[in-house]
Amino acid sequence: MSSPDCDDALTSLYLYLDRELEAASAAEIREHIDVCNGCRSRFDFEARLKTVVRDRLAEDVPDEFIARLKQALSEEAADLQ
Amino acid sequence: MADQADFERDAMEHTRQLYSAAMRMTRNPSDAEDLVQETYLKAYRAYHTFEEGTNLKAWLYRILTNTYINKYRKESRRPSEVDLGSVEDLYLYRRIGSEESAEAARTTEDRVLDGLVESDIKEAVESLPENFRIPVLLADLEGFSYKEIAEILDVPIGTVMSRLHRGRKAMQKMLWDYAQKRGLLPQGAEKP
Repeated sequence: MSSPDCDDALTSLYLYLDRELEAASAAEIREHIDVCNGCRSRFDFEARLKTVVRDRLAEDVPDEFIARLKQALSEEAADLQ
Repeated sequence: MADQADFERDAMEHTRQLYSAAMRMTRNPSDAEDLVQETYLKAYRAYHTFEEGTNLKAWLYRILTNTYINKYRKESRRPSEVDLGSVEDLYLYRRIGSEESAEAARTTEDRVLDGLVESDIKEAVESLPENFRIPVLLADLEGFSYKEIAEILDVPIGTVMSRLHRGRKAMQKMLWDYAQKRGLLPQGAEKP
């Protein structure tokens, strides 16, 4: 099967980054972005953005809340017994 | 059938993720804490119905999401739309990529990705209507598959894909605005 062209690659960009493609299709995309600078640049950017979004959305959980949560769970456990 | 005694050990490792999602759903720490606590209590009570070996994290998210939708959300039940009239795919990349050289574009990309601070990303996600925000959180914060998201939200996979697509586009448009406000773009990069 021939390598996908840029339009095909871009259509599948998020499917690829979200790991939703089957292995064979993902391999074709990888082959294409290895040789196509334009697509590689787009894929790289979207992949980096996805990582930035994930990392900067993460919150630290306040320790007091963890303690309260554990307390609530043990009270619940006692109630259920 | 899962043993309630194992609940704390197995479920507590997801606290940070659930809390992060709850913060973006409720938009404030006190409601986020209540939402996560309620989720854990409901999950604990129902843990004997949880099928061991299946996806505990997805199960917890399903409880979190449903609890949020039923109790905390202030928006109407009707799915809202975002106006994406002229917003094309890869919105942010295309704006940045209009540089003269690949090198210059790469420099701007780095500046934008490094320069968008936590609050920009958080506000961009929070600005999304709920029916787009939740799929984006589940995919981009949690890394759930489309199938898992479909199961968590009880919607078809096609719906997940289109909401994710539109949600991400709307988010990129917001991020472009933040990048402009923060002066992360080269002189002369005009808002289209």
